[in-house]
Amino acid sequence: MIRTIGLGAVEIARAMWITLIHLLRRPVTNQYPNEPVAVYPRFRGRHVLKRYDNGLERCIGCALCAAACPTDCILVIAGENTPEARYSPGERYGEVYEINLLRCIFCGYCAEACPTEAIVLEYDFALSVYDRWDAIITREQLLQPHTPPHIVLRDDTTLEPNWGQWGGVARPAGKAEGQASG
Amino acid sequence: MDVTLTIDNREVTVPAGTLIVEAARRIGIEIPVFCYHPKMLPVGMCRMCLVTVGLPVVNRETGRPEVDAAGQRVIRWLPKPVTACTEPVSEGMVVITDSAQVAADRKGILEFLLTSHPLDCPICDKGGECPLQDLTYRHSPGVSRFDIASKYHAAKAYPLGDLIVLDRERCILCARCTRFQQEIADDPVLAIENRGRDAMIVSYSEPAFNSHYSGNTTDICPVGALTTRDFRFHARPWELEHTASVCNHCGVGCNIVLDTRLGRIVRVMPRQNELVNEVWICDKGRFAHHFHASSQRLTVPLMRQGGRMVEVSWDEALQHVATRLRAICEQHGAEAIGGIAGARLPNEDLYLFQKLLRQVIGTPNVDYRVGLSAGFEDDIVAEVGVACGTDLGRVGCGTAILVLGSDLDEEAPILYLRVAGAARHGATLINAGGRATKLDQRATHVLRYRYGSATHLVLGLLHVVLHETNEQGRALTGNEIVPGRVRGLAELRAHVSEWTPERVATISGVPAEAIRAAAHAFAAAQNGIIIYGGEAGNHPALRRAIANLAIVTGFVGRPNNGVIAVLAHANSRGAEDLGIVPHRLPGYAPAERHGLNATEMVQGGVRALLVAGADPFAISARQVNLEFLVVQELFMSATAQQADVVLPAVAPGERSGSYTNLERRVQYFHPALLPPGMARPDWSILRHLAVLLGAGGWDYATPAAVFEEMARTIPLYANMSYERLTQPVEISRHMAHYIYAGMSYQSEAYEGLQWPTLAEQAMHTFVLEWQAPPPDPPTRGVVLVAPRVLYDGGTLLGQTQLLASHVVTSHVAVSPQDAAVWGLADGQRVRVAVCAREIALPCRVNPALPTGVIAIPRNLANNVAEMLLGEGQLFSPAGLIVEKQQGS
Repeated sequence: MIRTIGLGAVEIARAMWITLIHLLRRPVTNQYPNEPVAVYPRFRGRHVLKRYDNGLERCIGCALCAAACPTDCILVIAGENTPEARYSPGERYGEVYEINLLRCIFCGYCAEACPTEAIVLEYDFALSVYDRWDAIITREQLLQPHTPPHIVLRDDTTLEPNWGQWGGVARPAGKAEGQASG
Repeated sequence: MDVTLTIDNREVTVPAGTLIVEAARRIGIEIPVFCYHPKMLPVGMCRMCLVTVGLPVVNRETGRPEVDAAGQRVIRWLPKPVTACTEPVSEGMVVITDSAQVAADRKGILEFLLTSHPLDCPICDKGGECPLQDLTYRHSPGVSRFDIASKYHAAKAYPLGDLIVLDRERCILCARCTRFQQEIADDPVLAIENRGRDAMIVSYSEPAFNSHYSGNTTDICPVGALTTRDFRFHARPWELEHTASVCNHCGVGCNIVLDTRLGRIVRVMPRQNELVNEVWICDKGRFAHHFHASSQRLTVPLMRQGGRMVEVSWDEALQHVATRLRAICEQHGAEAIGGIAGARLPNEDLYLFQKLLRQVIGTPNVDYRVGLSAGFEDDIVAEVGVACGTDLGRVGCGTAILVLGSDLDEEAPILYLRVAGAARHGATLINAGGRATKLDQRATHVLRYRYGSATHLVLGLLHVVLHETNEQGRALTGNEIVPGRVRGLAELRAHVSEWTPERVATISGVPAEAIRAAAHAFAAAQNGIIIYGGEAGNHPALRRAIANLAIVTGFVGRPNNGVIAVLAHANSRGAEDLGIVPHRLPGYAPAERHGLNATEMVQGGVRALLVAGADPFAISARQVNLEFLVVQELFMSATAQQADVVLPAVAPGERSGSYTNLERRVQYFHPALLPPGMARPDWSILRHLAVLLGAGGWDYATPAAVFEEMARTIPLYANMSYERLTQPVEISRHMAHYIYAGMSYQSEAYEGLQWPTLAEQAMHTFVLEWQAPPPDPPTRGVVLVAPRVLYDGGTLLGQTQLLASHVVTSHVAVSPQDAAVWGLADGQRVRVAVCAREIALPCRVNPALPTGVIAIPRNLANNVAEMLLGEGQLFSPAGLIVEKQQGS
């Protein structure tokens, strides 16, 4: 009986010791939204559509992202560039580009399938909306540089291979920027 | 004679003359090809099909194959690889397709092909269904040893005509397109220009790529070099839903696939049916699908209230129609009501239409012959039509085809391909017409008769067949059927005795020797097919003479024998079969009391008119003189604008049903789209109307139920059902006709069912009736002809922007000789007057017309030809005045 009580007290003391240690440690909880949460550079958040340096869209409307998408949340309708209205290098561009973020599982297959690195999963994770229709983001929204204030990148880039900036992957030799397609 | 050879250690026996590539295909070994296409002659241009071939060594002393010590045949291997697509098989041949050597050859060829290919598959319309892409994945080395900087660059998105876009970088110069245009379409408008790396596809025709079949080149292009303007960038192939359908633009009944994306048709592709369209469709069928998605479609029932059209509910509209019809029926009798149904409606709708009028309302006034169908009917095919099992795609040597008064290239383009193909394979082709047509270039005999003398010409042919003998002194009549089953032969022989070729020559202008030669050539064949069209004149005596010619030559009741009438619309044949004429009931049963025909109804013979899918008031000269007009339509047509109630119908792509084509082949089509708004299928509208009029037993839930009743009550359809119409093609037929990569997706292949003619019944007795021909046409003066053209001013075609520039504008075509006499040049206005009606139109000099003939195509904007001639007339009587308009 006494032995049982003694053993119990030891167990409680050990548990309390752990509690005491954790009281003194820095908490892991993030006080979001009061404090920003830093994301890793390879975090897969809300998509953006990239442009070339000369301002032309990278997207050529090939719909390979939609083909790769396991949840079928991407709609691409292609259009044809004309000399008067040129959106992308080459003949074809994405006239309609919509992603249903309610369906998206952020697997990143779309970015992997993209032959021009136009679609990229960036860092925004605060995607709540009041209206379900607002969860479908359009080409115009995707093409806007998306840097809301709550996004902070982790600074420990040691975890990251040196990729430079997103989309700066080596292009095929002999092709200059802006001629990657067509 | 069969030949046995060994391919990859497997023995296969094939007919002599078979190519290695086909023999391999028989046993499921695929030899990759780019330039080879089973419908065209092989050329061996792409070298992709290289295989190793060995031949057995034959002992010259004994003439037998030599064997080695082990008892195996000694094989002498050919020193170089051989193109399997050009090499016919031979006895004992050994072919190796799976060796390292062959694989290395394929790698090399692909590496070379890709040095001048942009590899822009992500933006290429062919990407995903591209033979080059597929074979590259399967056979290529994966990497190239060539520098990407030295890659060949050429024009992209080059417009090869306004329908087809050429990407010269992607082209691998297989010449499938140029060969198709030359061998199959008979429009040699494409060519390869320059040599080596500078070689490119060009079109020198004016306008560029001027052909009714240009879209087919995009199907057979093994890369994405040729794409259509219509489909360009509209979808990736894997995003499409394929629905098996049947084209509704002419009577050929080409099998098509409606490719839809997001609820819209984005392209139309041919669906293989070797008995109808093989693997081709014409450009009208391919591009004129935009009427489905037109914003001008009717979507809500409309009712005239206080002089203007008001949107109402279906209940209200149908209730109103029923009340009014009942009132008119009670007041004036059922004969005061009439019905005109368009020949574009499927069989089920036409059946219910005539059943509603005849059985529920009780009026005999039913007709379909308005618009293009006016003035052209056919009642002989039920007896002497082409027999079941006829396949124009397989006839050749030993078959004679007589084309009478039809410009097939314009009226039934795919029938043109098949008739021209038969001629290419050795068939005797007699083209009889009033003017030069494209078929002349394939014809062995061209008979150019004077308009109005087609009947006399056929009587001349009959005279030769019945009164002359061939070189061996044997009669020209068909000896299998003539003795027992024919009545009235002696009378007919006596009647035609006066129509000697010499006499016919003076009437028709065709030399007597040409008539004689054509008749001898026609009668000498083992199989004979007569194809006749509206330009022959549509006189009852003509139809009788054609039937008599088919019977006395014995060209009836057997496969590949008989008559085809080139009727105007997708289901004109079905309209004839289902008795949408005032004098016949369904199944060619004669009607007890004859009703009014369409012209009489429109001109005030009835008080109330039901119109479904037709536009009888399109000719503006006609005034609507009716108490009550109901129109079921897709668009606000001229007739619908005059109507009291307009009911929105659904288009063919939005419903199921069946059409009967020119060869009496009943074919089922599936729905691909949802109907717009509140539109309903015509059969459903008719069903509701019948129920409101108090009919019992009208509880059809689907078109299948209607078809089932048709099969039960009409002997023609005795063995038919939707299940049988959609039975997949037997595997043996599938292997006999297949498509090589190029039309690179598959869809269900059905062949449909033909109903048998009377001639195929063993007990049928042919009665050779005699009907006197119409009076001789005048040999002097000018004749105005109203031929049909493919791109006419039709409502459905008008909805396709892409083809707008192809639609023929109203003009008068004049022969160069006449133009010189009248002092006319292209574009000058010419005044044409017939019987107090006159019109002034720009002139076009057309060398295809003979002297003394002017032509105004039918069914153009404002219906000028119909206004001048009357709707049912195909060419003018005498008394035509043509002169240059003063001041132009």
